[in-house]
Amino acid sequence: MTVLRWLRSGRVLAGLLAVALVLALAVLAPAIAPHDPEAQDLTMTLQPAHLGSAYPLGTDALGRCVLSRLLFGARLALSVAIPGALGAMLLGAALAYAAGYLGGRTDRLIGRAVDAVTLFPPLILILILVFALGAGPTNLVLAIVLVDWTRFCRVLRHEVRVVVQRDHVAAARLLGFSHIRTLAIEVVPATLPLLVTLLALEMGIAVVVEAIVSFLGLGVQPDQAAWGQMIADGRTALHQAPANLLAPAAAILVTVAGFNLLGDGLGRKLAARLVEDRA
Amino acid sequence: MSLLVARGLTLEARVEGEIVPVFRGLNFALESGRALGLVGESGAGKSMVGRTIAQLLPPGFAVTHGTMEFDGHDLVAMPPSRRRALLGRDIAFIPQAPQAALNPRRTIGAQLDEHHARLGVRGRRDLREYALAALHSVHLPDPQGLRGRYPHELSAGMCQRVLIAMAFAGRPRLVVADEPTTALDATTQAHIIALIRALQRAQGTAVLFITHDLRLAAGLCDDVAVMYAGDIVETGPAAAVLAAARHPYTRCLQLANPRMTGPRRALYPLPEQMPGLRALARLDGCRFAPRCPIVAEYCLRTDPPLEGTSHRAACIRPGLVPAITVAAEVAPPPWRPAGEAPVLALDGVSKHFVTGGFFRPDRVDAVREVSLRIAPGEFVAVVGVSGSGKSTLGRLVAGLEQPSAGRIVLAGQDVTAGGEAARLHRVTAVQMVFQDPQSALNPRRRVASIITQALEAQSAPGSVREKRARELLAELGLPLELGVRRPGQLSGGERQRVNIARALCAVPRLLVADEITSGLDVSVQAQLLTLLHRLRQDHDFALLFISHDLAAVRHLCDRVLVMHQGAIVEEGPTETVFGWPRHDHTRALLAALPAGA
Repeated sequence: MTVLRWLRSGRVLAGLLAVALVLALAVLAPAIAPHDPEAQDLTMTLQPAHLGSAYPLGTDALGRCVLSRLLFGARLALSVAIPGALGAMLLGAALAYAAGYLGGRTDRLIGRAVDAVTLFPPLILILILVFALGAGPTNLVLAIVLVDWTRFCRVLRHEVRVVVQRDHVAAARLLGFSHIRTLAIEVVPATLPLLVTLLALEMGIAVVVEAIVSFLGLGVQPDQAAWGQMIADGRTALHQAPANLLAPAAAILVTVAGFNLLGDGLGRKLAARLVEDRA
Repeated sequence: MSLLVARGLTLEARVEGEIVPVFRGLNFALESGRALGLVGESGAGKSMVGRTIAQLLPPGFAVTHGTMEFDGHDLVAMPPSRRRALLGRDIAFIPQAPQAALNPRRTIGAQLDEHHARLGVRGRRDLREYALAALHSVHLPDPQGLRGRYPHELSAGMCQRVLIAMAFAGRPRLVVADEPTTALDATTQAHIIALIRALQRAQGTAVLFITHDLRLAAGLCDDVAVMYAGDIVETGPAAAVLAAARHPYTRCLQLANPRMTGPRRALYPLPEQMPGLRALARLDGCRFAPRCPIVAEYCLRTDPPLEGTSHRAACIRPGLVPAITVAAEVAPPPWRPAGEAPVLALDGVSKHFVTGGFFRPDRVDAVREVSLRIAPGEFVAVVGVSGSGKSTLGRLVAGLEQPSAGRIVLAGQDVTAGGEAARLHRVTAVQMVFQDPQSALNPRRRVASIITQALEAQSAPGSVREKRARELLAELGLPLELGVRRPGQLSGGERQRVNIARALCAVPRLLVADEITSGLDVSVQAQLLTLLHRLRQDHDFALLFISHDLAAVRHLCDRVLVMHQGAIVEEGPTETVFGWPRHDHTRALLAALPAGA
């Protein structure tokens, strides 16, 4: 019911379509990519994009197929963004529910932890962590989780606090509900729409973070296909083969815009829902 | 000549694409220097009259016919610039929420000066003189010091005095007061009404007093007009209307109001509720007909005009109105054997809160050394002004707060220490009905699931819950199909019943009810009080009824406790305490009631 109502929003629908497209391409990459993304053909370097040719989006300086690398790049972007955002959500939400529901000392302690992490600009902190942990997608996911849980925690804690002060939560306790049950039945459902919205936005952020980190050459091995890496390589060949730079840039744009539209649309639907509840 | 005249005023609203007539040719007149009380329950359209005068109608509302004339000029048709010149100067408003009407970031003096400057006062010394005079005129102490204070440093009653001073500052010819005392305590309310009355007399101002309380209006106004669903159904001299209502709605409202004197008669339970905006479109005849006890077939087809000379009513059979009556006395409480162990015993219970900073903590004593006993099946009230600690007392009994000192024994078990065992004991012994059903009902659950939440906690099977939900709905007089709705789809009265049903589900021995009738319309309150009386006959539960409404307390409770600054200052049988009050504070509470209650 609720999901169907969300789909009626143009933003949610557009965002969902963009995200689904990128996801489908990423999953199907091995099947639909015209070439091995790492196969070099040094006789065919820096070919311009030509739709009818064997290399529809041209080749890079090492003669690798740009389209194939783009598709495999989507795989890497989502394989960082999805677990990274989910992990950050799980950690952040767990602490937010604990802080908001228990209040008091727990709340202050978790609040200080959030403050401590957000002292640093999040991107810088992620880069420092990646340096310390070593390059590679797994460590990047870990770094995103360790830094971006604060985004969930701070916003969600406030929402939980508001819900916990409503009398139906006290009523559930008086009727004999345990703390866990009260939290699960009376508090969590009220905050789920916000959580879904934050998750969508965080995935967009994680895609950008992955692109930046791999642009700096910290994300993956140099020959592995990553959008950030492709942009870094494509800069030098902007005149001969502009698709080297423009294709990954466009891919990032579509993916991030998709996630943001989805998050924004869900957020608006949530606000509308609350107004309806009040009426 | 009349100062304010509504002539055939027709107000239409667009609701979901449908045009609905809110006012069908409204007529009333207010003479210079007189006070007219516009009385009605929520949804009667009384506030729309005030909004029409200011032309601040909600989106979708528009005046399509008729006029609202001020001093012979139509306020609806006149250019906005001219209307603006009148508003604030010749027509002043006293708002409902005083603290929200003042700018929290500016001092009282600055806001008074700004208002006086708009009225044409020039020069710093003059502004100061005017501000002091204005504050003095509403009997505020220390006007000099008050000018430098901010609204949050003042009580709601003091803020309302400042706003009254502003309203009367320009010597307006008309003051529109929309529920000016609803947000205030009963004692403050009496002072504010007296103040408006005095200023009105002194300045010869006309007052349009919009309220839901017929007795309050009768105390302040020369004339009253009773509104129902956008129609004025009865109008006339206040005393005449109060003494001998000619419209069945007025009569029912009076009978629905619990009295402070005489025998405790039953309340008239007007069935259902006032039609909403959308329902108005389908009501062609008398809009009260569907709920009217003396309805005739003719009433459903034709809208009766106001008939009579000075005291007029829109009813075709006014002769039958005095015959509408209720049982002379409420049923006595069921008999109980003497000497039963109390269901609740409090011994020297105190509660203090520590607020403020780490270095300078403030200690607030909310409840001080309260001792009380409640016998099984006894209905006990706690009364007092806001801040007297009565809500905290309720929360202590329910277990939502832990006492700082003292002992709480509930149904034979000491639950002072709290903890898991005490909590599980409390579940079967005490339940609480919260004040605000909006906040007390989870908007995501359906009604049937809310009222059987106690069974959910015991993991009862779905069939058991469904059966209990049907029982509870029937017992509280709610239609069965309500079970599948969500709280957002219910009316205020229905929500409060669902709220009570949930607390009654597990049949507790003691029910704590915190201000459950405040904010409800008179007829809804009557339904609720009647319901509690009936439930008492069928079930064995005691009630701790926390309220500031003395009339409701008198109607419902056997014994009353008066709280003042956290302590119980007087207690005894309701009739004794209200009839022969001993403590000054109790006397002050009783003195604040509107005359003729």
